[in-house]
Amino acid sequence: MIAVDSYAYNNNLKSVHPAEKSLFVMLTMGVCLASSTMITPLIVLAVMAGGIILKAGIPTRVLIKLMTVPLAFLLISMLTIVFSVSTNSSGFWLAQTYNGFTIGIRYPDLMTAANLFLRSLGAVSCLYFLALTTPLTELITVLHKLKVPFIITELMVLIYRFIFVFMETATAIRRAQYSRSGYISVNSSFRSMSRLFSALLGKVFVKSQDLYNSMAARCYTGEIKVLTKKRPVSFKNYFIIAVIEIPLILLNLLWR
Amino acid sequence: MSELILETVDLEYSYPDGTSALRKVNLQVQKGEKLAILGSNGAGKSTLFMHFNGIYRPDSGFIKYQGQDISYKKKALTELRKKVGIVFQDPDSQLFSASVWQDISFGPLNLGLSEEVVTQRVKQALLDTETTDIEDKPTHLLSYGQKKRVSIAGVLAMEPEIIIFDEPTAGMDPRHAQEFMQLLEKLSDEGKTIILSTHDVDLAYSWSNRLAIMYRGEIIAHGLPGELFSRTEIVKRADLTIPWLIETHSELVKKGWLPPSAPLPKSKEELFQNIPVKSGQQSA
Repeated sequence: MIAVDSYAYNNNLKSVHPAEKSLFVMLTMGVCLASSTMITPLIVLAVMAGGIILKAGIPTRVLIKLMTVPLAFLLISMLTIVFSVSTNSSGFWLAQTYNGFTIGIRYPDLMTAANLFLRSLGAVSCLYFLALTTPLTELITVLHKLKVPFIITELMVLIYRFIFVFMETATAIRRAQYSRSGYISVNSSFRSMSRLFSALLGKVFVKSQDLYNSMAARCYTGEIKVLTKKRPVSFKNYFIIAVIEIPLILLNLLWR
Repeated sequence: MSELILETVDLEYSYPDGTSALRKVNLQVQKGEKLAILGSNGAGKSTLFMHFNGIYRPDSGFIKYQGQDISYKKKALTELRKKVGIVFQDPDSQLFSASVWQDISFGPLNLGLSEEVVTQRVKQALLDTETTDIEDKPTHLLSYGQKKRVSIAGVLAMEPEIIIFDEPTAGMDPRHAQEFMQLLEKLSDEGKTIILSTHDVDLAYSWSNRLAIMYRGEIIAHGLPGELFSRTEIVKRADLTIPWLIETHSELVKKGWLPPSAPLPKSKEELFQNIPVKSGQQSA
């Protein structure tokens, strides 16, 4: 997660307007999820992988590693769709019968599973494209422009910032515990962990009060107003989005 | 020159748990001065600062800004905080945004300035604190010193009259600490009033033109730096030490290398200049 975050700030597409990237990702993801053919998700996967590796300059091994994260979940859900158990042994493509029960694979199920698998993977690749090329702070400004309520965007700003503050604090406490022989046995691990959580909880209250004070010192009156750096709007990018999306949509509509 | 800008009268404050943090604090701040507040940990420096722009309300006593008691009404507080800026000790509790640019723009935008003016101020603050090269980095990937400079920029961009720095050089490397002191000089030259808390006696002595020493919630002495540091009993009582410049100077006077009338040096250069060339030695 930290790696994804730091790539978001260090990639070749960082200066592209966040609205353009978001539009591209949302459209492609919509097309990918709505497709009934297996070709669309494959194309989406290829486009996104190409975009992430060639355009954004993210190392291939990073992308492969990230793509394996949802793979475990996907495979488990695939198994439940692919395999059926029935007392009627007809209609199976590959099957084994024990004591009257048939366990096996029906061909249409296999196709559904494969389609679902590819669509999910395609959609995940879209989200990775966004996550790897766009800092969260810029995504929040897009949400802001889309008139998402202040309370949500402000909470996102604070939560995002404080994930890192608390992670740093927790790492420091954990290190201090290790250096005083914390976590050496199962019992001590439980004790160390519980102390870490209680120490962190205390710090949460102190830090939030400090943050409020320091924001008040800068004239905070209940609404976080910040200025975002202007990114250049590129018509070329909108043209590229159209060139990619229109054939994909047509493919979805015509291939039935 | 000696126009009173900020004043506390018999300020008393206790924390909710009953610990008395400030006891009868009387302090006058002149416009344009460089005031250092010295004190060991827990002396009440940060607590006092929180009163200067109305974040804490005193249990008794008053704070006056330009002769007027400060009001705790929302609008008046905003007006006060526009004039009195605080750079907090821990940058992690001051930086709320992951984007350097956004964080610095927060203060000036709250003042109701136009986007152009805010952009201009953010750029200037980035230049003044030498953080232009990290403006696109997220705050969680910055070093402590960089965070500190960004938090200073966030207050500079509001262009306050009085800037309060709580332990500003703690955690900065020598180069950046020195550059920070130059920035302070520049701000003073622009006519800003600067209040700084520290327990670095050398820094306080060389930089300030007035000193206040705090000890357990009280101001036990205030006055000119040279005079204050000559009173060893006060310095000892406040758990502080004598600046090395003064110690070296008095040692040189005691051993006859300097006449007793020699002026106290304010900087290393002044001290070296005071030391006479030994007779028979070639002067460089």
